[in-house]
Amino acid sequence: MRRRSSLPVTFLVPTLAILLVLSMVPTLYAIVIALQNRELSAPGYSWVWFSNFADLFSDRRFLNAVWVSVKWEIVTVVATMVVAIGLGVLMFEVAGPRLRNFYCLLFIIPVLLPRVSAAFVWKFAYHPLYGIATYPYRLITGGLIFDPLSKPGSALFAVASVDVWQWGLFFAVIVLKLLETLPPQPIEAARLDHAKRWQIHAYVTLPMLKAPLISLMFVKMIESLRSFDLIYVMTRGGPGVATETLDMYAFSQGFIESGKVSYASAMAVLMMIATVITFTMLWKRVQA
Amino acid sequence: MKSYRLAASLGAAFVLTASVSTAALAQAPVCSAPVKVLAQPRDGLTLLEDSKDEFKKLSGASFQIDYLNENDRRAKSRADASTVGNYNVYYVDEANVALFASSGWIVPLADYYPADYDYADFDPGRQKVATYDGKVWFAPLTGGGDLMVYRKDVLEAAGIQPPKTLDELIADVPKLTNADKGIYGIALRGARGSGANVWRWMPFFKAYGGKWFDGDKPAFNSDAAVKATETYLKLFKDSAPGTQTGSWDESTGAFLSGQVAILVESTPLSGMAVDPKTSQVVGKVGFLPPPSPLPGGGYGHGLAIGTKANADDAAKKCAGLFIAWATSKENEKRRLDAHQFGELNRTSVLSSKEFADIYGADLGQALAETGKVTAVNFWQDPRWPDLGDRWGIILEELVTGTRTDIKGGLNELEAYANELVKKK
Repeated sequence: MRRRSSLPVTFLVPTLAILLVLSMVPTLYAIVIALQNRELSAPGYSWVWFSNFADLFSDRRFLNAVWVSVKWEIVTVVATMVVAIGLGVLMFEVAGPRLRNFYCLLFIIPVLLPRVSAAFVWKFAYHPLYGIATYPYRLITGGLIFDPLSKPGSALFAVASVDVWQWGLFFAVIVLKLLETLPPQPIEAARLDHAKRWQIHAYVTLPMLKAPLISLMFVKMIESLRSFDLIYVMTRGGPGVATETLDMYAFSQGFIESGKVSYASAMAVLMMIATVITFTMLWKRVQA
Repeated sequence: MKSYRLAASLGAAFVLTASVSTAALAQAPVCSAPVKVLAQPRDGLTLLEDSKDEFKKLSGASFQIDYLNENDRRAKSRADASTVGNYNVYYVDEANVALFASSGWIVPLADYYPADYDYADFDPGRQKVATYDGKVWFAPLTGGGDLMVYRKDVLEAAGIQPPKTLDELIADVPKLTNADKGIYGIALRGARGSGANVWRWMPFFKAYGGKWFDGDKPAFNSDAAVKATETYLKLFKDSAPGTQTGSWDESTGAFLSGQVAILVESTPLSGMAVDPKTSQVVGKVGFLPPPSPLPGGGYGHGLAIGTKANADDAAKKCAGLFIAWATSKENEKRRLDAHQFGELNRTSVLSSKEFADIYGADLGQALAETGKVTAVNFWQDPRWPDLGDRWGIILEELVTGTRTDIKGGLNELEAYANELVKKK
């Protein structure tokens, strides 16, 4: 009779138990708080059940925050992947091994910068009078002022560009390394068939990298959900509510404006449910 | 004889014991652990850090100050004081002292402020702001009202006299803007916040006769609020770039770097404007009270004793000693010597010869004049930050053009105010 080893159980159970406690306790606590009417300034509370959730759907700032969050996800994820693939392929095609290493080092630096530092650097770069990023506009227009962070139409894109600057360049390095790991035969075969460079990548290399690229995209989608620090430092959700994402609004309600921690928790719970459902559906669709 | 010797020995023993105990008591450190302070950046506090050893000698422990900018400091201190209570001392201000005091997050200061440090010497206006519900809650680090600070050279070149009325200000500001030369008529605050854009908007609201509440009934949704907002938005057309989403730092920074003709701002700006270390317009600046009928925004910031982190009386005494020492006459004198105008709060210093020698008679005169029109413009209630911040968001939307309906914004604020009143 074959004896089953207890080794996997010995290693897995404690780890899983710790993970379960670490993830479930705050989650359950957030759900409990969301069903109450706790406020920071009042020690007492009562159960209001789903009242916070109902209130959210008539709150114009919440609805705006949902829309801003969706825009933020789409803009940052799409732009990051486009930049990553574009630069990755360009380095693969144009640069020699030494130059590639140099670019890789250069492109990794932005992501190593703490998010808050990057936000402050770019906030100053976007200053309408002194900013280096707005300097070309002033030069071309003879000194006209452009303040991207205070214009509702440009603020989200200005902040998103910092996110793409950090992650797009880093992902470009990963894409380059992925391309370098591909077997050379299919690429050589395509060249013998007189395929153009873009055709080789569009029809050969990138389809071969579909699985890792999708993984990268999922990583970026999750990362984009956690852009609170970047937005907080650069715009605090402004101008008005133009860059107020869900996490920004939840924090604002919980700690900046009203101290409504239950209301903020209700938002967090909804966000969690929406994220789980969306990611599960996307994952299944990708696997299908 | 024996009994005499015994009595003498006992007496000597008593004297020795008593003197040792007294010495021990005299040297007993007031603080057993470093004092943790949550504050916003202030030159006075930075200077204070140079004297850490002095406080250690006085109390037996050092101190550590964590700095966050104004809005972040408000958010963090509110979150910290209501939950974990990591800080022994909180930096509070006129806008949130009522909330902190009524929520029990800070304790009355007078019980733990050593009498030797002379609290009564603080400027009476600042003492008033530090008082809520009949009790004193903080020792002032800064405070005052508003002054109109203007560029004499720019106004002279434009042939314009310094405006004495609000109507004159509204008429003059567009004439003073010369964007090609990098000069803007005014600088306002656009960034959200009861202490940011709302703070600068409130004098207009009050000047047009607005009031926040009539008993428990919101009264701010009025013609006064509409007119104040229209005026604010009109003036914003000539406000320096970067101020639309900026606050104190951006508007004063624009003035000090020579881009702004007229600025009505809190009084510390005047000290910065005459200091070559911070100003590029030294010698070109004039001071006057705000154009009539704009009232000055009376304010005060200071240090208060946290409740949770100071669980026992000894800890509260330690925090009280730190606050008293930090705001003492000696430290205020150091701030005067370092030309930190905005950090001066004691009448003994403000009326001293050294002060007059450094800042001149003009500024002293303007400060005396503006004191007469300084008022409390905000709603003195624990719910003020909540209401003020909500209006701050709507006002920021109006300033940046993401919404245009002033009346709609006020209706929204009124509905919110009614909710706040119901919850009381």
